Amino acid sequence: MNAGMSMKMRAFSVLALLALFLMPAVISNPYYVHLVITILIYAVLLFGLDIVVGYTGQVSLGHAGLFGIGSYTAAVLVFQLNWPFLLAIPCSIAVTALFGAILALPALRVTGPYLAMVTLAFGTIIQILINEMSFLTNGPEGIKVAKPVFFGHMLTEIQYFYVVAVLTVLSLIVVDRIVKSHLGRAFQALRDSPVASDCMGVSVYRYKVYAFVISAAFAGLAGGLYSYSEEYVSPNTYNFELTILFLLAVIMGGRKTRSGALVGAMIVVMLPSLLSDIDLFREIATTAAVTGVLASAFLLWKKRKTVREIVVPLVATVGMAAFSYKLENITDWRLTIFGLMTLFVVYYLQDGIIGFLRGLFDGAASVVASDVSVPTEKVETVHDHSSAADGTIILSAQQLLMQFGGLKALNQVNLDIVKGTVHGLIGPNGSGKSTMMNVLTGIYKPTDGRVEFAGKIISGSTPSAIALGGVARTFQNVQLFGEMSATENVLVGLHHTFRSNVLDVMLRTRRYRDEELRARIRAAGILEFVGLGAMASEEARNLPYGKQRLLEIGRAMGLNPTLLLLDEPAAGLTAPDITELIAIIRKIRQHGITIILIEHHMDVVMSISDTVTVLDFGQKIAEGKPAAIQADPRVIEAYLGGSVGEKPVPITSAKGA
Amino acid sequence: MEILLQLIISGISLGMIYAVIAFGYQLTFATSGTLNFGQGEALMLGALVGLSLAGSVHGGPYLNYWLMIPLVMIFGGLQGMLVEWIGVRPAIKIKSEFGWIMSTIALAIIFKNVAENIWGKDDLTFPSPLSSTPIQIWGANVQPMQIVVVLGALAMMAAVEIFNRKSIYGKAVVATSNDRDAAGLMGINTSAVITFSYALSSATAAFAGVLIAPLTLTGATMGASLGLKAFAVAIIGGLTSGVGAIVGGLILGIAEELTGYYISSGYKEVPGLVLLLLVLAIKPAGLFGKIAIKKV
Repeated sequence: MNAGMSMKMRAFSVLALLALFLMPAVISNPYYVHLVITILIYAVLLFGLDIVVGYTGQVSLGHAGLFGIGSYTAAVLVFQLNWPFLLAIPCSIAVTALFGAILALPALRVTGPYLAMVTLAFGTIIQILINEMSFLTNGPEGIKVAKPVFFGHMLTEIQYFYVVAVLTVLSLIVVDRIVKSHLGRAFQALRDSPVASDCMGVSVYRYKVYAFVISAAFAGLAGGLYSYSEEYVSPNTYNFELTILFLLAVIMGGRKTRSGALVGAMIVVMLPSLLSDIDLFREIATTAAVTGVLASAFLLWKKRKTVREIVVPLVATVGMAAFSYKLENITDWRLTIFGLMTLFVVYYLQDGIIGFLRGLFDGAASVVASDVSVPTEKVETVHDHSSAADGTIILSAQQLLMQFGGLKALNQVNLDIVKGTVHGLIGPNGSGKSTMMNVLTGIYKPTDGRVEFAGKIISGSTPSAIALGGVARTFQNVQLFGEMSATENVLVGLHHTFRSNVLDVMLRTRRYRDEELRARIRAAGILEFVGLGAMASEEARNLPYGKQRLLEIGRAMGLNPTLLLLDEPAAGLTAPDITELIAIIRKIRQHGITIILIEHHMDVVMSISDTVTVLDFGQKIAEGKPAAIQADPRVIEAYLGGSVGEKPVPITSAKGA
Repeated sequence: MEILLQLIISGISLGMIYAVIAFGYQLTFATSGTLNFGQGEALMLGALVGLSLAGSVHGGPYLNYWLMIPLVMIFGGLQGMLVEWIGVRPAIKIKSEFGWIMSTIALAIIFKNVAENIWGKDDLTFPSPLSSTPIQIWGANVQPMQIVVVLGALAMMAAVEIFNRKSIYGKAVVATSNDRDAAGLMGINTSAVITFSYALSSATAAFAGVLIAPLTLTGATMGASLGLKAFAVAIIGGLTSGVGAIVGGLILGIAEELTGYYISSGYKEVPGLVLLLLVLAIKPAGLFGKIAIKKV
């Protein structure tokens, strides 16, 4: 099915390309040629914006500012220094990318609404600077830019169209390559679970900056092209309204698709001209209302939706149509219409037009990026770490103190983990087990004390550095990358195997292709290893709960760890799942990988642990062989209450309160 | 020296306006973890509705300035409820951060556009209820309205604080802020509390609008930059601290007046935004905010 799909896609792409390049032959009216150029330029920007909005899931209100920087860089270079097109455009890209990095710096530590406001502030500052720095930008008067000149010949509108078209197609290819590579996977990973990304060695900070820089570079290219296209730039173009328009285009067209960006660009460029014609708008609004009523009637009749669910959009579309007949001057209400469209898209068309069409045509099938069919080459999937060093201390925590306000979640805890063993960590809820996990993996910085791993002090390092050092983990509350397939989840774990940079990805160099192939083969092997081979291309969020836990282990194995931390892997699992889990843990151990196991299922802990440490109220109360721990009166007291000295009841299976 | 003092005094009155709007951000953030990106527009609508009631733009004046204030606050409350109902509640239901950010922005542009169509695109003067003859304080000219702004802003914030601490409804708000799920389990109608916090938040913004309007011009575009700078204030002070809002407001208000006078009025907006970027880059929880520990 995949092959057929890609054939169809290829044929479609060729047709689309032909149509694009033959277009000027059909439409020669300069007004329409200019319109198409604008659509293509917007599309370039939207490809980039989609990396930030669609892939990393952040709201950027600063892209009009970045677009403005691109425009002004080209315009200023032409106006002040008379630079040619071929120098001005690369400068636009470089300067805007630099500003993208500057924007990303404060944005590094914040997400969601904070980031939205930061980017909004950035956009506002840019607009003020363009306005005020008259010596450079000619202030509010703006700058005139002539069409590019090649060999003494100034390009006509149609020739310029070809320049833009070629650059748009190139941008599309480049963006497509980037988002389907390990970089794109990193972007998506940090959207779905920043914590898990960090713990897979994918530094959230670094990749957020990358995403902004790449996104800004495209905004710069688009901006530069826009200057030449409009032949005039002025500060007021790059305002808040334009930013909203860009966002509307991305979400309306459909996130995470290039076709969505094209559709979105088409809509927002055409919209103002559509809205200047009241009769046309009335027709469109009426058609939308009729379609809305029919669709609602159909959905109600099929019982797919309830009246409650459809009443708001229905009232909105019908209201819009009625409103359109009352209006005399539609241009004044342009922003209201944008606003209503945004509201509608946000709540009723979350996957955009392309997503909607996809859902309509092929039901559930989400297209997963080019899965490699069967592993042909033999690649060692799970490295063997057993060595003569078995029996030495691999991880040693000394005098660990973790304080939250007045609470000592860990109080002077010492922990030594012997290489090649399974070390159980148990204790009642709130005893500090998960805190220990988070301190060991660098998510919390301990208040005092230190952690030594393989001879190096790791307390104080970042989670991604610790992960890259060979410490992998799973999470108590599953932290998979939900929108990515099982294979892609493991591939994020394998991110550290990539040495290719963004240029390798853009040019598809041999190095990148080799690394990608090897990683995919290894990912397939790892999925087999944890028993998920049959579900490789399933989206992680659609897997049953037990399988999600196994996938987390698989993803952690991708890191090629020497130490694996399992945080309640059996929580919520059914009995057969638990049996499978125990088998997998044993297999992992046979490869010489040391395991720290936090678990409430005593039968699991006691059957596979070599040593068990018991925590209670942040302190270590016992440590030893499972059998000894089961008989330890202090442990029994901690779990079951009662005082020391009463007849000990051996623990067989106890779930923490 | 007089000039400096004068700038500081106008900075304080401007800063108190920022503080009130920032306070509005804090109210909704506390109960629901969401913010109204149209907070500036709530202020703008408050000021313009106030103008229609107490000014002559729509055949008025119908009321005097002081009687108009409660009506404007009721209007603000209703507007806030509308925002919550259309823009925030569905997003909370589907747990979409992107959803409420985008929909409150969308509502903000709609409000701005509607205001442009009702009140026009030009800025209008708002009749001042007090004489504009300045009072001399240590040689600096202070407008009586500036003093009213400072007192009014403080009174508004104090009223909300007292309500939250003393009344049983206020305690429901505080409980919801601390732990929405637990408050829900204790029988508090948390969704009503969230709606209420939006109403309160927009009402304070509308109140700030009619306070500031006599000192500046009113118009559909007045909200956007006030809203953004008030967000900067909320961040500088910390989204969880009322004192932080006041301190942040004062810092920004004074910084802006000084920049406007000593550098260029074109750059007046810049210090707030730069401060916002700096605080977020260095101490995202703000000067007075507490850092929440992320549970994994």
